[in-house]
Amino acid sequence: MATDLSISELSKDLRDAIEKLDVAGDIETVGIVTRVGDGVAWVHGLRSAGYSEVLLIEGANGETVEAFALNLNEDEIGAVLLGSDESVHAGAKVTLKGTILDVPVGPELLGRVVDPLGNPLDGGPAIKTTQRGLIEREAVGVIGRKHVHEPMMTGIMSIDAMFPIGRGQRELIIGDRQTGKTAIAIDTMINQGRQKTGVVNVYVAIGQKLSKIARLVERLKEERVIEQTIIVATGPSDPASLLYLAPYSATAMGEYFRDNAQHALIIYDDLTKHAVAYRQMSLLLRRPPGREAFPGDVFYLHSRLLERSAKLTDELGAGSLTALPIIETQAGDISAYVPTNVISITDGQIFLETDLFNQGIRPAISAGLSVSRVGGDAQTKSVKSVGSHLKLGLSQYRELASFAQFGSDLDEATKSQIEKGQRLTELLKQHQYQPASIWEQVASIYAVSEGAFDAVPVSKIKDAQFALLTRLWTDHKKDMQELTKGNEKISSDSKYAKLILDAAKSVAKGLEE
Amino acid sequence: MAKLSRRKIADVWAGEIAAGRDITHQVAAYLVDERRTGEADLIMRDTEVALARRGILVADITSASQLTSETRHALEKFLSTNMDAEQVAYREHTDPHVIGGVRIEAAGTQLDATLRTRLNQLKASKI
Repeated sequence: MATDLSISELSKDLRDAIEKLDVAGDIETVGIVTRVGDGVAWVHGLRSAGYSEVLLIEGANGETVEAFALNLNEDEIGAVLLGSDESVHAGAKVTLKGTILDVPVGPELLGRVVDPLGNPLDGGPAIKTTQRGLIEREAVGVIGRKHVHEPMMTGIMSIDAMFPIGRGQRELIIGDRQTGKTAIAIDTMINQGRQKTGVVNVYVAIGQKLSKIARLVERLKEERVIEQTIIVATGPSDPASLLYLAPYSATAMGEYFRDNAQHALIIYDDLTKHAVAYRQMSLLLRRPPGREAFPGDVFYLHSRLLERSAKLTDELGAGSLTALPIIETQAGDISAYVPTNVISITDGQIFLETDLFNQGIRPAISAGLSVSRVGGDAQTKSVKSVGSHLKLGLSQYRELASFAQFGSDLDEATKSQIEKGQRLTELLKQHQYQPASIWEQVASIYAVSEGAFDAVPVSKIKDAQFALLTRLWTDHKKDMQELTKGNEKISSDSKYAKLILDAAKSVAKGLEE
Repeated sequence: MAKLSRRKIADVWAGEIAAGRDITHQVAAYLVDERRTGEADLIMRDTEVALARRGILVADITSASQLTSETRHALEKFLSTNMDAEQVAYREHTDPHVIGGVRIEAAGTQLDATLRTRLNQLKASKI
């Protein structure tokens, strides 16, 4: 006991300690905290610290608070704290951990809700993985990449038919608040479970309300998709540093599957909040503000993140990481700073409009402003064959419909085009949590676009669709299972076309006006 | 005039000390003139680092009790061999809170072989 120690014993201890000193291992570089506040600590010393290196700050009660270095100035280091700044005080000693930030990665994370450092938030047992992945990591180079050619079915007809997404693609979901952005992302995750695609979902909640995350977890449990999902959650009360790290650490978790010949889907919900968190950190680190007070590297912030989503070559295992970043706009303004950045980084965008949402057209996807730049090659043959004219038809319909409001004297061709457009619009309405399989999409779109439902009133199109799908599944289950493989092109002489049209016409008879 | 960094001030000061010239008064006058007296402690730390690069080591040694001459000699030898120092100067501090062992702080580095730190490490690792 310390109280029993005499001076001579202490002296002996001291000599023993000096003799036993493991010199090389114990001499460490130290700095001191000069000031701290708002989650940022300024550190003097530690000249050997690297960018993004982890610092260990001695807390008031002997505990250690972690931080990572973001500003390396001539005289001091700006470090962002990964925990509360309450126990950090000026004068506290700072040492280097000797690593840059990393997180646990691997299949052990599936079905878990974790924070950006990989700590469980779901009350479950501690996560023990055999591997760790770097939070900041360079993206795969040119040679390691292959073009996007496999479909990532969302189960949402208007997306799969008009703006197809391929595995390894980055497709932005953009729109105002309350337009169904997250709903699209959740449906896509659910579809991976329902269609048994084997795709691993990684959902990153950046500053989302915890109640919303809890609802999502419950839903994924109900849908039994949680077993193939990792949720990286940060709430509004978490420090900005964690919000900033969340998408990077989730990407590291997704990359594990990509690099192990598997397919993963990552949803960043949403990057607007991420940019805001980064702006807060940058301003506190006294970096010069630029447009909308964002720092100069806000483009690089997102480009380096999204570049990590890729389709790998066969030599690297042919795995993929598909990204669905979400951006929230203000009053439909897609020309704001962060939206334009992310639009230019991604391989296309799905634009959701408030007006369409309020008209009851859900998902409220704007056919004119949405685009998929690389997904065409990834679309299944059957969906491609029925959906090729869908986008053009819908865009023309919207144009004609607005023109037709000025007068009622329209020629027959225009009238029929408007009516078909109305039927297609009605058909593409889809309830949440009801993703459609490939055969359901093909049969529905083909029946309407070939005019089998022309005699059915617009208000009964969904009934007709339901009846058609029920009949096809009851009478031609094996054919539909075959059709779901997506390899068959649907043309007027194919057997599936005949099956669908026959069933559609007989269904339509019962629903005519 | 652009503000001189602390590192540059420290480097100049250390260079003069190593050359045997004392410019402490000039440095003090500069800090007062530039209203940077608040940075004096940090400049001192930087100067110690700059001096260490020139083979002059200034160390702070903390132990629970007074060091014996034997221990002092051992520490001096240790510092000169392990920190590549030609001249070693040190300040002794006695702090019963360290319980046992010794802590050496010199030129932005630290060697903490105190019992207090070991106990804290044990506490943190929850053994």
